[in-house]
Amino acid sequence: MKILTEFEAKKVLSKYGITVTQGSIAESEDEASSIASSIGFPVAMKISSPDISHKSDVGGVILNVKKEDVKSAYSDMISRVRKAVPGANIEGVLVQQMAPSGHEVIVGLKKDPQFGHALMFGLGGIFVEVYKDVSFRVTPIDKNSALDMISEIKGYPILKGIRGRKPADIDAVAQVLVSVSEMAQKENIVELDINPLIVGEKGAVAVDARAMVD
Amino acid sequence: MLDAIFYPASIAVIGASNNEIKWGGRILKNILGDFKGKVYPVNPGETSIQGLDSYSSVLDIPGEVEMALIIVPSKFVMSVVEECGKKGVKGLIVVSAGFSEAGNNELERELVSTVRKYGMRMIGPNTLGIVNEPAGLNASIIGRLPRPGSISFITQSGSLGLALAEWTIDTGIGLCKVISTGNKADIDDVDLIEYLNGDESTGVIAMYVEGIKRGREFIDAVRRVRKPIVAIKTGRSKRGAKAVFSHTGSIAGSDEVYSAAFRQAGILRVDDIEDLFDAALAFSCQPLPAGNNVAILSNGGGASIVAADECERQGLNIVDLSERTREQIKSVIPEFASSSNPIDTAGTVSFKIYNDSIKALHDDPNVDAIVVIYVHTMMSNAMPPAEAVVERKQICVKEKSNKPIIACWMGGAGTEEGVELLKSGCIPNYPVPERAVKALSCLIKHREFLNKVKLGVEPVDKIGRCK
Repeated sequence: MKILTEFEAKKVLSKYGITVTQGSIAESEDEASSIASSIGFPVAMKISSPDISHKSDVGGVILNVKKEDVKSAYSDMISRVRKAVPGANIEGVLVQQMAPSGHEVIVGLKKDPQFGHALMFGLGGIFVEVYKDVSFRVTPIDKNSALDMISEIKGYPILKGIRGRKPADIDAVAQVLVSVSEMAQKENIVELDINPLIVGEKGAVAVDARAMVD
Repeated sequence: MLDAIFYPASIAVIGASNNEIKWGGRILKNILGDFKGKVYPVNPGETSIQGLDSYSSVLDIPGEVEMALIIVPSKFVMSVVEECGKKGVKGLIVVSAGFSEAGNNELERELVSTVRKYGMRMIGPNTLGIVNEPAGLNASIIGRLPRPGSISFITQSGSLGLALAEWTIDTGIGLCKVISTGNKADIDDVDLIEYLNGDESTGVIAMYVEGIKRGREFIDAVRRVRKPIVAIKTGRSKRGAKAVFSHTGSIAGSDEVYSAAFRQAGILRVDDIEDLFDAALAFSCQPLPAGNNVAILSNGGGASIVAADECERQGLNIVDLSERTREQIKSVIPEFASSSNPIDTAGTVSFKIYNDSIKALHDDPNVDAIVVIYVHTMMSNAMPPAEAVVERKQICVKEKSNKPIIACWMGGAGTEEGVELLKSGCIPNYPVPERAVKALSCLIKHREFLNKVKLGVEPVDKIGRCK
């Protein structure tokens, strides 16, 4: 069993046509600076280590980094994480475009000993943590089942747009669910979280991901 | 192939006994109760058992043996099974325990490979046996043959199945088959679902499940079955037992996955044992409605409101009645009573009120299903409305109506006669409105499964309806 870093997990997602936030791993201040310049400011910076899956818990995430702060953010983060998790294998810092605005949802997979893979969908953030407002299917699923899955959660009206807000691109989320269903077996996934997947009026972008593969 | 087990022409009871308190004695006695085929007791220590010649080995039996029940200590099971194979036995029910349930996985694997070597099929080991009412076969330790019916009950727990089968007899629920699956070493849920789908006398399948062995195959098999399957799956409490890597991992306990898998396959998962048989009863004697528009008729306002609330909870629609229907109902109920749905006759009860109202509701194209409630009082008689329901039902059957009628006769002493009449008229009747509505909601959900999950699955036959 192997844990994929965010960077590796997103590569897998891209392979199946899922849009991810663009970025690369910097191994020095200068590299961080040049990656950031090529993406455009502000950027998000996240520690990249196979030993750390909850990055923000160890000070491994800084958002909205401006051009003049990239280098210091890099070295500060490295030393902070080294102190928090001594001995962790740190590959560098993932410099990434900032997430677009939209609704946070979670898409996940879990291998089940009886039924193959279970696919999960829910609203992200506190909704999944506290309310566990999620729906499940056993994979594989088609687009229609994906749409059913989305409409089953209690928070569905939020995605449809309440109180004059524009509706989220539900079709794009359904497409992500179908793609994740497709990769379940092919990639030997044990567990996968895309959390959050940000859904705007048009399109859905995987902003963070973690995966365990067999 | 499983016919050898459920409809055998001849049975050997290996480990038979004269002592009816012993398993081998009890099961033999039960088989002899109503079974019309040949029965051969096998026990090397006896010459005669319960009035029949006893054989020291299955190989000594002169005629053919289609099915054998094995009730011997586990250490003798292998040699007995080997002999059955040589004899040409086709089906086995291995009651003996001491296999995988006791940690003896290797012994169970050996058992299965011997069974398969001879092309036999096996229920068990560690089963309490099976009952097949249409064959008059009680090859179990259940005390009596159940009442005839179209519910086939698959149970992973032997003792629970036993208690429930006995209970159905007193409750008046008819059963077709009771199958205690035991360890499911050979015949498992997939085999049984496929078999019962083709079984003419089975109309609805009720399951008590602790765990499914071949999950994917099970889902695929269930998808191909049009007959309703209602299941209770235990083990809800294990969720989130261990810390895991992902959010998904922490939320997706096995119970959530079972729920999803059952729903995708078109299995109605119910919460408790009462719901299981309430639903099975409704399926066994009422047609599937076309939609979820429900009409409620009651002689008591409180009970009809309880029923309406439960409809709301179950996602059923309390339908607006047509003007014509309301006029028809108005003409038979008192002026001060309510002719809008739910209909409240304001305490008045008569054959005519119930008969004419049910007819009007049934003829209303907006109505898909009818819940008829009777609340007993000292001033009313439970019989006339029950007679009306039974008579309407007979007309519905004749007209091949697809509008189910579900009854709720509330009250204690004084209602017995009416309740018995409903039972014998094949009307699913429940003591409280919530149970009646929940059972109805299962019929409606199954209709939705047929429209969505089981598209294109043809019915195997048209049984499962009484009278």
